[in-house]
Amino acid sequence: MEIYLPVAEISVNWIVIVGLGTLVGFLSGMFGVGGGFLLTPLLVFTGIPSGVAVATTLSHVTASSMSGALAQWRKRAIDFPMAGVMLAGGLVGTGFGVWLFALMRRQGQMDLIVALSYVLLLGFIGAVMLRESLATLKASRDGAAAHLLHRGWFQGLPFKMRFRQSRLYISVIPPLAIGFAVGAMSAIMGIGGGFIIVPAMIYILRMPTNMVMGTSLVQIIGVTAVTTILQATSNYAVDIVLALLLVSGGVVGAQMGVRIGGKLRGEQIRLLMALVVLAVCAGLLWQLVARPSDVYSLTLEAP
Amino acid sequence: MRRALLALAFLALPVFLFLPASPTRADDIVSGISQNVIQIKSNYTGSDIVVFGSVENSRSSQGRDVVVVVRGPDARMTVRRRDRIAGVWVNSDAARFEGLPAYYYLASTQPVDRIAPPAALARYGVGIRYLYPSAVGSHHDPHFFLEAAKRHLKQVGLYAEAPGDIDFQSENLFSTHVPVPAAAPRGQYNVEVYLFRNGQVVSAQSTPLFVDATGLERQLYNLAHNAPLRYGLACVFMAMLLGWISSVLFRRPT
Repeated sequence: MEIYLPVAEISVNWIVIVGLGTLVGFLSGMFGVGGGFLLTPLLVFTGIPSGVAVATTLSHVTASSMSGALAQWRKRAIDFPMAGVMLAGGLVGTGFGVWLFALMRRQGQMDLIVALSYVLLLGFIGAVMLRESLATLKASRDGAAAHLLHRGWFQGLPFKMRFRQSRLYISVIPPLAIGFAVGAMSAIMGIGGGFIIVPAMIYILRMPTNMVMGTSLVQIIGVTAVTTILQATSNYAVDIVLALLLVSGGVVGAQMGVRIGGKLRGEQIRLLMALVVLAVCAGLLWQLVARPSDVYSLTLEAP
Repeated sequence: MRRALLALAFLALPVFLFLPASPTRADDIVSGISQNVIQIKSNYTGSDIVVFGSVENSRSSQGRDVVVVVRGPDARMTVRRRDRIAGVWVNSDAARFEGLPAYYYLASTQPVDRIAPPAALARYGVGIRYLYPSAVGSHHDPHFFLEAAKRHLKQVGLYAEAPGDIDFQSENLFSTHVPVPAAAPRGQYNVEVYLFRNGQVVSAQSTPLFVDATGLERQLYNLAHNAPLRYGLACVFMAMLLGWISSVLFRRPT
């Protein structure tokens, strides 16, 4: 059951890797997130070097996003103009992120900054989503109508554009900014950024939840594809055998996730995702504050 | 192909290292290994080589010790120490070491401390305790950092010692098994066999051992390093293709 990974230069149990790919793919299809923020730490836990884990997870995110996006596309649930605007911001953000990554590494403490920003971000997003989805669930159970959509605070911004499928007429600046921020995070944390982009689209852009899934997936495909190529050419850290194993599991999981996600209501999906995000946040926080089993850690490099 | 031929030519002549001047050159050691090349294939989970040899012209087996050392290629190591600052564990200090092997295995007829004095062991790098880096980058005393590095390498099986693990088939014929875990890096290894008498090295022999990937694994590794753009594009293409295939396969008529 062991298989040798040519770039990571270690042997892994392929059943475990395919299983992880399936599990994370399932979440990806269900919530419209790539799942990189879950898969990267899980791979590191199985003994894969973190550089390879970060770079190769991106392929898994590309594949499950592709699979999910096609399923959404058949449901006509993708707003392509919106995805294009966010992707444009995302590509600039990725370039910025790669530069910032190098800068942070020179300053040291990069691990800490990444972990702390994960905790803060996940904690905030999880809490907001949890509160909102619970309130909506309660309101619909009480028979009251869901609260009306508020007009966004950015209505006054220029460069307005009509997004017909999302029934929005808004400035392109907020989606560009969201794309940029997520692109930068993708390069720094090795994630697709869906778990940030989905709440941002729901709560900041006020896009309909059913449109958000497909649109965010298209944006994620673009960002992760470019980041994979950047990682392959600058760090030689993408392992194609590992990617194949992860992707094989991931695409199957993503399809199952889309099926189940389609049967749930929007606020139920958001409640589940809030719980997943908070669980990951708690896990990361625990790693930061718990006494490590050995305060010394070792990194090996070929000379 | 040329590299392989060169390697073979190199292997054909076992390299005799340092032979210290000894008034009566009585004891001599001759050794070999079961394989000169460890090939990494897709199902590689580590390997096991046999080091064997014989002691020649030996007067007696009293006061005589055999030590087998297998050293991997040198690695650059960074050891970081975490301290608790404001409730959070933060990397606060680091030390860098160069010139330590990425893999080290030692088998000996008895614990090395009983074989020779520390100065002799340190000179030949015999015993994990007596391995020292060639260069150190640290603001403080690197001692604890070096200890931590060795402790980690022992935990993952890259550093190991097996005192008493040399089998004698006869008075002068010996052999030992050397485990090479899957995590051991690619590169040139050295198999060193030392003959100690009364705390002195009287004979030594060194033979190179190569750990290298072959076939598809090697091609993929080369592609990743020599044509990274094509390799990256291939990864992205594969991911998108599999995503598309699965989406077609799982399509349900609606």
